[in-house]
Amino acid sequence: MLEALKFQLEMMTNPIMLGQVVVNGLTLGGIYVLIALGFTLLFGIMRVVNFAHGEFAMLGGFALYYLYGQFKLPWLIAVPIGAAIVAFGSLILELAVFRWFYQKMFQSMIGTLGLNMALIYGGVLVWDAFERQIPPAFTGVLSLGTVIVPLDKLVVAAMAVMVLAGFYIIMKHTRYGLAMRAAAQDLEIAESQGVNAILMYKVAFFIAIFMAALAGGLYGQIYSLSPTMGERPLLVAFIVVILGGMGSIPGAALGGIILGFIESFLGTFFGALASAFVSFGIVISLLIFRPWGLMGTPE
Amino acid sequence: MAQQSATIGEIPRGGHGVATRAAASGWIVPFAAVVLIMALWPLLVQQPYVINIGTNCCFFAIGAASLHLIIRTGHVSLGHAAFLGIGGYTTVLLFVKAGWPYPLALFAGVAAAGGAALAIGPIILRLTGKYFVLVTFLLGELIRMVFVEWVSLTGGAQGITQIPPPHPLLSSQLAYYYLALTVSALVLAFIIRLLNSEVGRAMDAMRQAPSLTECAGVPVVRFKVMIFAIACALVGLQGGLQAPFLRTIEPLTYGPLESLNMVVMNVIGGMTSIVGPLLGTVFLVVLPELLRDYVLMQRIFYGICLIIVMAFLPGGIVELWSRLGRLLLRREGR
Repeated sequence: MLEALKFQLEMMTNPIMLGQVVVNGLTLGGIYVLIALGFTLLFGIMRVVNFAHGEFAMLGGFALYYLYGQFKLPWLIAVPIGAAIVAFGSLILELAVFRWFYQKMFQSMIGTLGLNMALIYGGVLVWDAFERQIPPAFTGVLSLGTVIVPLDKLVVAAMAVMVLAGFYIIMKHTRYGLAMRAAAQDLEIAESQGVNAILMYKVAFFIAIFMAALAGGLYGQIYSLSPTMGERPLLVAFIVVILGGMGSIPGAALGGIILGFIESFLGTFFGALASAFVSFGIVISLLIFRPWGLMGTPE
Repeated sequence: MAQQSATIGEIPRGGHGVATRAAASGWIVPFAAVVLIMALWPLLVQQPYVINIGTNCCFFAIGAASLHLIIRTGHVSLGHAAFLGIGGYTTVLLFVKAGWPYPLALFAGVAAAGGAALAIGPIILRLTGKYFVLVTFLLGELIRMVFVEWVSLTGGAQGITQIPPPHPLLSSQLAYYYLALTVSALVLAFIIRLLNSEVGRAMDAMRQAPSLTECAGVPVVRFKVMIFAIACALVGLQGGLQAPFLRTIEPLTYGPLESLNMVVMNVIGGMTSIVGPLLGTVFLVVLPELLRDYVLMQRIFYGICLIIVMAFLPGGIVELWSRLGRLLLRREGR
């Protein structure tokens, strides 16, 4: 018992292992932030709790599977194009489904749960339920001193960071971003100042789905791809958004990174079960003592 | 015209809002009629398959109606199936593994579900709106994870199979149907009576104006905890009764999908009166049976149904009914 504990402690302070943990944490955290940002954007702007968010990630995974795995497009092109195709296609769902649920939080939960179900089983109908693999984009490792880093994870982290930077620029430095932030803060005042709210909903929806689909592609490449794979990203989006505060964009970024590192650290040293219990426990206690999250504002 | 409005006025509304003395006892006749019909139809249709659907209907009605109690206090719980699981697992484990007599095991199951709710309730019932939904969703996941991972006790993902019938008499499907009907009729009568009492009025008040209710001298949180514990104990009763009927118990039955199903029963039927969850139960138990041969299509159809109902009929089937009434009235008036 003591020996095992000692061994574990040694592992934890080993720089090679720690390097792995950090890179894994960054990769997971990047993917989680991508998913959670869209989720929180939709909630902040149109008050829709999108329970189908994980399934858009699933669609992104399949887009990458076809573009990269089957049609052999270069990976750097296949990833954004796949996400864009899913986001454009999803605008149809926006017109058919989401527009009925603008500013209706409760109805949107049940309605998007229905959409979630239709998408999962529609996916099973088309692609069957078995798990597929997207071939890895990069093989090989990068060694920085004593730390050895698998290249594909590093590329995924870099991709996530790039998209996040793009998102930040759009939100902070363009008129659309300004309008979206205004609509999220106070819809009525924003509309009275000439912000076209319906257009902003569609732009926000496009951005949110783009990021979810992109994250789904990256996630599907690291793990595996199946129509039911959206469950985990949905749960993650949930946890991250609660951690950061619902509707808060910096909160989602912070929450994603925190969750990524918790999972990477506990998952490596104590197993997946321990990390699941701890992250659930943290979120439940946070909800009880500070329900508006780390960076949200109390209502 | 007068006659028309009189017939529409007779639709049982479940004592929502103003509950007069007449309305408080007005539910007994329609309720007794429904129970009588439910008790008699198996004599006409003697297929065991159809009777099993009836049994399931009775069981799920307990869960949906108990969730309705929580919803009436202003909280939507997405973790109700976890308490179904606590009741089911406790009953089955004590009955099968510890060899307790079934009624005692069932009682323990009900007490465990109610006790767990009593322990968690004071902490989580201070949350409102979306936060309560989220915390119960996560709590439900956490409890389901315990069912899956505590393999030595619960049998893990496979669960426990070949649970014997609780009593030799209950090995026939018809006998089980009548047991389910009796229990669910008793539970429903209790719930309706509760909703029509002073407690029910306090529940409506604390949903619509929590601070005002507090000022009026109702200890809101204590009241909510009590209702929550009662509702969870009742759903635990469903779990304990249903597991020996299904002969197996597995964590999948108690996951978020099942919790969602119970919410959907309430939402599809209508959340403002007890008629809603009962209609929703019949709808959601019988409809999938009709599409049994096309499981995939059934799920897709179910999802699309949810979207349509939420988009166009947020008050549920009950609202369709009252809308139809208003439409007829307007026609008549012209």
